[in-house]
Amino acid sequence: MDKYSDQQIVQMLSDAKTQRKAFEMIVRRYSERLYWQIRRIVLSHEDASDLLQNTFMKAWNNLDTFQGGAKISTWLSRIAINESLDFLRRQKHLSSGDDTDMTLADTLSADPYFDGNEAETLLQEAVATLPDVQRTVFQLRYFEEMKYSEMSHILNTSEGALKASYHIAVKKISDFFHARD
Amino acid sequence: MNEEQYIEQRVGRRSPFSVPEGFFDSFADEMVRSLPERRPRVKSFWLRPTFYAVAASLCGLLIGAAVYLHQFESSQQTAVQTVAVQDQGDSSFDEAADYAMLDNQDIYACLAGY
Repeated sequence: MDKYSDQQIVQMLSDAKTQRKAFEMIVRRYSERLYWQIRRIVLSHEDASDLLQNTFMKAWNNLDTFQGGAKISTWLSRIAINESLDFLRRQKHLSSGDDTDMTLADTLSADPYFDGNEAETLLQEAVATLPDVQRTVFQLRYFEEMKYSEMSHILNTSEGALKASYHIAVKKISDFFHARD
Repeated sequence: MNEEQYIEQRVGRRSPFSVPEGFFDSFADEMVRSLPERRPRVKSFWLRPTFYAVAASLCGLLIGAAVYLHQFESSQQTAVQTVAVQDQGDSSFDEAADYAMLDNQDIYACLAGY
């Protein structure tokens, strides 16, 4: 499967006879990376799994909109992150009428697929206080060490704005920790 | 130490999340199986450039016709008004001539200074 380069896969995508095989290679190659991008935004494994499935389904149904000049990974990340941010907006809308008092720390400690220590839980709590896009910028830069140039294509924002956003996010998180020391 | 280094020292960069064993392999298999057949996308009638060209031409024709009709009607109205004013002038003159019991001969004589 890995013997094909992204460029070859893009060529295969443009041919109706080979596009299914090409897309299968894409799913196998990019699932894990996209999963972690989504998971760091939505936190729950079940939600991340559903959103990953939606991402690939959307990509498959909109193959015609993929421009060969762009990188497959950038195109997929853009769909995945938009799906995740839409999901968060829907969640906020739904939970606005919800009166449960469960904190994020409670939710994470009940999650069988979260094994973070106290500091890591605190970091997730701090990140959750950030606005959605700022949170995404922080996750992509801090955990994935993604270049601002790539992030700029994914989030359709200038590199300068992304650097400023990351700087503000780091400051807020640092303040969050200091307030609990 | 800057703020990023402070966070790194305090928390590290390890991802505290995990997934069920074999998740990615089973996900890919399941995902590939669930992909529907793709149908070639038929370009909608509304998106065709010919549609827009025809629509623009029709709009142009309609606007042109409306402007022409408007101008034609207003020029006709002006002509009718002029004739009406002229008629009104003639009829007043005739009335005045009748009142003064003047006929055309008297008027010519009057104008000639006899």
